[in-house]
Amino acid sequence: MKQFWYGLALLLFLALPPVRDLLESVMAFHMHMQMLLLFVSGLLMEPFFQKHFGGVFDKYNKTGLPGVVLFLVILLYWMLPRTMDEALEIWFVELWKFVSLPFLAGVPLRDSWKKMSQTFEIVVFMILMVIFSVMTYLYIFSESTLCNNYLMIDQQTVGWGFAFFVLCIVMYILLVLFTDQSQYFGDDSEA
Amino acid sequence: MKKPLRIVTANKLALTNLATAFALLLVGGFFGLLQGLNRAGVLTIVGGMNYYEMLSLHGVLLILAFTTLFMNGYLWSAVDYVLGGLTKGIKTLGWAAYAIFMVGAILVAIMIIAGEATVLYTFYAPMAANPWFYIGLVFVVLNIWMSGIGVFISAFRWKKQNKGKHLPLFAFFAVGVYVLITFGTAFVAAEVFYIIPWTLGWIDTINVLLTRTLFWAFGHTLVNVWYLVAVSAWYLVVPKVIGGKLFSDSLARAVVILIVVLNVPGGFHHQIVDPGFTEGLKFMHLFMSLAIAVPSLLTAFALFATLERTGRRRGGKGLLGWFWKLPWHDVRFLTIMLAMISFIFGGAGGIAQTNNQLNQVVHNTLWVVGHFHVTVGVAVVLTFFGLVYWLIPHLSGRVLTKKIHNLGIWQTMIWTVGMLFMTLSMSYVGLLGSPRRTEYTTYGGSATALEWDPYLIFVGAGGTLLFAGVVIIVYIVFHLMFLAPKGYTEFMMVEEQEEDAHKTPKWTENWGLWVIVAILIISMGYVVPLVDLIGNAPPGSPPIRTF
Ligand code: HEM
Ligand SMILES: [Cu+2]
Repeated sequence: MKQFWYGLALLLFLALPPVRDLLESVMAFHMHMQMLLLFVSGLLMEPFFQKHFGGVFDKYNKTGLPGVVLFLVILLYWMLPRTMDEALEIWFVELWKFVSLPFLAGVPLRDSWKKMSQTFEIVVFMILMVIFSVMTYLYIFSESTLCNNYLMIDQQTVGWGFAFFVLCIVMYILLVLFTDQSQYFGDDSEA
Repeated sequence: MKKPLRIVTANKLALTNLATAFALLLVGGFFGLLQGLNRAGVLTIVGGMNYYEMLSLHGVLLILAFTTLFMNGYLWSAVDYVLGGLTKGIKTLGWAAYAIFMVGAILVAIMIIAGEATVLYTFYAPMAANPWFYIGLVFVVLNIWMSGIGVFISAFRWKKQNKGKHLPLFAFFAVGVYVLITFGTAFVAAEVFYIIPWTLGWIDTINVLLTRTLFWAFGHTLVNVWYLVAVSAWYLVVPKVIGGKLFSDSLARAVVILIVVLNVPGGFHHQIVDPGFTEGLKFMHLFMSLAIAVPSLLTAFALFATLERTGRRRGGKGLLGWFWKLPWHDVRFLTIMLAMISFIFGGAGGIAQTNNQLNQVVHNTLWVVGHFHVTVGVAVVLTFFGLVYWLIPHLSGRVLTKKIHNLGIWQTMIWTVGMLFMTLSMSYVGLLGSPRRTEYTTYGGSATALEWDPYLIFVGAGGTLLFAGVVIIVYIVFHLMFLAPKGYTEFMMVEEQEEDAHKTPKWTENWGLWVIVAILIISMGYVVPLVDLIGNAPPGSPPIRTF
């Protein structure tokens, strides 16, 4: 439950007007820091929902697949340049961002993660890799600004940020595939 | 039958590294003395090398060469000891790395002495040195990478042969240190490979701010590597010397991981007054910079806990009674304890100067020089000195005599008092505005500059004491290598942790993951400024020779 409070505190912190102003003033902070942290706050808050609404998860997210699909839909939605513009200009879209990323992406993904096999985890990472590669290409090479509120250079920065995400995901997939990760579970008391 | 004594097998290699390190300390310290006397206004430098050539050499020899060689000598010994020996191939690699270092160091030193590279140790563009200077730096970087590879391979092999066991903590520190310095040197290698074509005239201009940004991603990481090397001794050597136990193995490992993962983007705090970055960006980086304080505070907590518990076991009573029960008369403890205490002040100063407004007051003043002589010159270097008393006799198969031990106490006191004089006066006179990296001048008798003079006298006085300290420690090192009576000296390393400590979780060993996380955090810190610097690049500057 401690995690829930940390998650909630993070969410509220991100919602503070000066924090929002700062993080939204630079496109890369907006996309790669604010949105990412909103998602993380959802991950942290999941145990609370598990405890109080466990039944809902059991019923609708039995295999874990629905949760992943919901996560991907929300993710893809926020990858559209237009949605960022709207979040900056229309208050209820901004509110939607603060609701959707934690509660409809972070929470379901953590619930699903426990139910998924390792193979499936890698598939999810591969999907993310593809999505982010497309974003890398789009944002670095696009000839015009895709987001009205930001400059070309901001956009290219985000593109490079995605490039590094892709790099890290690729390295992670290789790590999981070619090393025995189970050796890193547990502690000495079991040995 | 008696158990065979455990020893470091690559002792010649380690001794060679350490001997060279202290020889360079002697040279670098001598220039420090001349600088200090110059700043005090008692020594005008005429003929031979000028002030800035000396300062360039002082910086390069002490913050780069002495420290690198000491790190290689010390950590390779530790890895060798805890992993039960190094293979022949790895030892050869170590010797090759040493040879390459010497090639690089000689190139760099010759260029500086010849007046071809008076660019100070930061070699900021658009000042351009002779290309050989930068080529020399490449060799030094190669030494670091080769030394790192030796440690990684040895650790990897050990893990293969000891499935399911934790890498011994000392080797864990070594892996962390070399991972971190590899990240840092990657940036400086990029910078140098950008500068070389420019000094050769293959490209006309250079992006100055880009080179500075690359430099500080390295420079900052470098000093934190020295700090991490010292911290390894704080966790592993101090408890052994005072007869205590390791506070917590898992905490120590978590600290290593945090320092490795969080460190590099902190480099931006050296550029707080650089133009061309938005305030928002500088503000974001404030957090990255302060984040580094977290592992330091964890360390402070763990160490005080170790000291207190040990002091109480030795019979210390009351709130602070344990403090006096610590073995203050043991030079192996006294040195490192003073080093740790100095880091409290050094760290606090660092937290202060990473704030934008405060940085504007002290930037490029002698305050900064005061700050890093406390952090590097005391917290790190005095720790290194403290290791000498058992590491070198262990390697050379000799023992520390009572006489040399007492000389060591004197050395420690002289060093501490010298540094107190020098750093306090530097810090204060820096607040009054006295600039760093400036030969003695009164600016034509300006009243403000004359106000600095009384404090600058202490810089000279402190410097004189310090040079005496250098001479003594170099003598001690020489004595312990060649003159001390033969015998066996134990390798000082704590083996036990407190009973109430957590069992170490296995995820700490996942170095592949830590490297990925570090790359993610580095890109969070540097993608925004770097794309901006390159995308919005100004025309750039041709090479300029100011010397
Ligand atoms: C004998 C002992 C030492 C003395 C007397 C001494 C003195 C000085 C002085 C006076 C300066 C500043 C001059 C200026 O900014 O105009 C300086 C700079 C510096 N010192 Fe030392 N120092 C000593 C030891 C060390 C040690 C042990 C280290 C590091 C391991 C070190 C690292 C540096 C560095 C990196 C600079 C900055 C160079 C620059 O600004 O380019 N010094 N030292
Ligand atoms: Cu720094």
